Amino acid sequence: MKVLMFTWEFPPLISGGLAMACYGMVKALLALGIKIDLVLPTRELVYFPLREVSDVDTLPTVFLDPVQQKEYTRHSFQTVQERMEYIGVTDSPETYYQLQDMRQLFEKVHTEFHSVEYENMDEQELWDTMTANLVGEEDLIQKVQEFTHRAQRFASELDYNLIHAHDWLTYPSGMLARKISGKPLVVHIHATEFDRAGGPGDDRIHKIEHSGMMYADRVMAVSQYTAQMIVSRYRIDTGKIRIVHNAFTVEGDEEDLSVKKRIFKDVMVLFLGRITIQKGPDYYLDVAERVLKTHPNTRFIMAGTGDMARKLLRRSAQLKLKNRFLFTGFLNRKQVEQILRAADIYVLPSVSEPFGISPLEAMAFGITSIISKQSGVSEVVNHAFKIDYWDVDLMADTINHLIENPELRHKMGVDGMKEVNLIQWSEAAEKVRKVYSEVLSAFLKSNT
Amino acid sequence: MLYVVFYFQVHQPVRLRHVGVLDVGKNSNLFDDKLNGEVMRKVAEKCYLPTNRLLLDLIKKHEGRFQVSFSITGTAIEQFKLYSPETLDSFKELVDTGCVEILGETYYHSLAALYDTNEFLDQVALHRQLMKDEFGVQPCTFRNTELIYQDRISDLVYEIEGFTTILTEGVDRILQWRSPLFAYKNYAKRINLLLKYYKLSDDIAFRFSNRDWPEYPLTVDKFVNWIDHLTLDETQGRNLFLNLFMDYETFGEHQWAETGIFDFMMHFPAEVLKREHLAFTTPSQTQSLANYQQESLSFPDPVSWADEQRDLSAWVGNDMQTNAIETYWELLHKIKAKGDPELLRIARLLSTSDHFYYMCTKYFQDGDVHKYFSPYDSPDQAYIYFINALADLEERLH
Repeated sequence: MKVLMFTWEFPPLISGGLAMACYGMVKALLALGIKIDLVLPTRELVYFPLREVSDVDTLPTVFLDPVQQKEYTRHSFQTVQERMEYIGVTDSPETYYQLQDMRQLFEKVHTEFHSVEYENMDEQELWDTMTANLVGEEDLIQKVQEFTHRAQRFASELDYNLIHAHDWLTYPSGMLARKISGKPLVVHIHATEFDRAGGPGDDRIHKIEHSGMMYADRVMAVSQYTAQMIVSRYRIDTGKIRIVHNAFTVEGDEEDLSVKKRIFKDVMVLFLGRITIQKGPDYYLDVAERVLKTHPNTRFIMAGTGDMARKLLRRSAQLKLKNRFLFTGFLNRKQVEQILRAADIYVLPSVSEPFGISPLEAMAFGITSIISKQSGVSEVVNHAFKIDYWDVDLMADTINHLIENPELRHKMGVDGMKEVNLIQWSEAAEKVRKVYSEVLSAFLKSNT
Repeated sequence: MLYVVFYFQVHQPVRLRHVGVLDVGKNSNLFDDKLNGEVMRKVAEKCYLPTNRLLLDLIKKHEGRFQVSFSITGTAIEQFKLYSPETLDSFKELVDTGCVEILGETYYHSLAALYDTNEFLDQVALHRQLMKDEFGVQPCTFRNTELIYQDRISDLVYEIEGFTTILTEGVDRILQWRSPLFAYKNYAKRINLLLKYYKLSDDIAFRFSNRDWPEYPLTVDKFVNWIDHLTLDETQGRNLFLNLFMDYETFGEHQWAETGIFDFMMHFPAEVLKREHLAFTTPSQTQSLANYQQESLSFPDPVSWADEQRDLSAWVGNDMQTNAIETYWELLHKIKAKGDPELLRIARLLSTSDHFYYMCTKYFQDGDVHKYFSPYDSPDQAYIYFINALADLEERLH
């Protein structure tokens, strides 16, 4: 079985949890013997043919252009990083060229690749909706247009059994690949625009999300929470939806991660994630203000970056939280581990979290965790406090209680760690394979 | 007579490095030695060394008739010793001419006067000892950080033995109809007060190279004529003092050599001394030259020489600055109680006003210079490093 997979993030290309989810899932799928041709927003026109488990770290690369490929194979690279720089994989996707007109692109696609224009009116409507909404001056929209433009070459030149697209950024590519190849499409919902925006969000993105899900043969949701949202907000047929919870697998390290390497003598509470409305950082600040009134020596750390960082920084100063509310700025992987080793209590106050791998990681470090009820991760763990994101008083009371009862805190942490260690990617990958098999057998049936 | 009183501020802060949360509790060096060294060597080369040489030549040439005063902070002297010892030597050479007055201030160029009287007195004493050790002089004129002044500060300074004069800003809202050219007394009539003549000071310090300024270019002739005109209103024979106070880094650093600032300074004293009713003097001599009953001036609220507002808003004008400064002074209290001299030394380096100045948001439009990844590009970054440093110092207390 061979899958053409489109995703916007994959290590080392990371901006959020999507990269970690794709990494874990792809690795486990490779272990099941599934072959994956991975397409990322790279500078050069390349794809990554992943065959072995170890390929997720080395990322073997193929250029579509034979001349470039020849040149590339002549190169010898000392490190993976050096090779990634050569093919243009940076920390975040860049725009490498501009498209003049999206409409032009899709007209060209129609005439060049389709023997049959549209199968029916419904299909035409989905295409029209998608193309009409993938327009805008924003940097991100332009990047998605470019990515989609390139997708047609991968779709027509590679050989695969099915297509798997992660989140709306790659749905247009997935749709295009399905149209060109006629192969089945699975779209994966890691987050919807409703989650990200913490409100209604961008209507164009809703439309693209909707078209992608409607056009797909199967829709994979990362939680029950997300599946419900797909049904209630996007009116997607429940028969098409499959739930595959994310997982977290501790890498290598034999060390006992629950042994603390403290930074502060007093209790340290941690927020770790993008500082953006979806993650509820403002609720975290409110909780900190309340707890510091009772336990003024507690340290609240806000780790990560995001569009609300500045506002929260200013507000923490306004509330005179002294040097008890600290910002780390961007942290690399190693620094994230250091901060996790030092933390006593982890808080995920997300307003809407389709899944949330970060709390699993925190729990794997034996950190007592408080997680928003409005999250997918709360469906898979028991040894964590589950609190409504808006209930800052209850969160503050819980933290106070944990500060006052170190034995309880420790026990919750250890129990949580044991629980998380049982949540493996291999289980999630097995479910994904089942979905693949379903769509493939349906596809074969309809083509015989 | 009109006496031109030059006072130059010589100061370099010890800048913090990008202190992160993960640096807390590691007992690591909080300061950016590399940057501090680079800045000191650059400013020494562009400003301190050439300007000191120029002033030395002028003093020798005019045989005692050209005089200036300096206030040099402890943090500047420490960094001369580390990165540019020849600069310190050249200042000593200037002081040895006898035509240079050295002023007293807080060792760390801090805002202690506003927050902690005992720490203020300690830092003034430390500075005084340093001046004695380095230059063999005892300052008798005081200038507080950034010319910050109010009535209660004059009381503090008066109580320190030996200070007879204080310098501050000639703020319009205090002076109203009065002229900054006279020597005044503080509100209690106990100490001599000299006020910066900000218009002419800033013509040199800020406007000298500004091509949009109608008076550009500023020639020695023109400038001395303006000074000359100031004497016309005085018909009773009272001695006037034109207080030209500015950062020493004006010469060669704020105003580059190419602007002609050195040429200006080279020819300025001779042009002044050519005119018989003009002369130079230094702050401590003004009291005996004041041949009239000095009026007292009251400063109920703090003033400074910063910005249009000439108040404290450059250092404590926003929430970040307020939280940082209040957290700092609370922590310093605990650190002093602990009695660890090295910890106290490090903590005092954070009292320097520049750390709070970096957090100033007065001139930033929202979102304008918000670059999280290039530190010190934004007031927020300055705040983060400072607060993290305070968290680290607090952990060291345990």
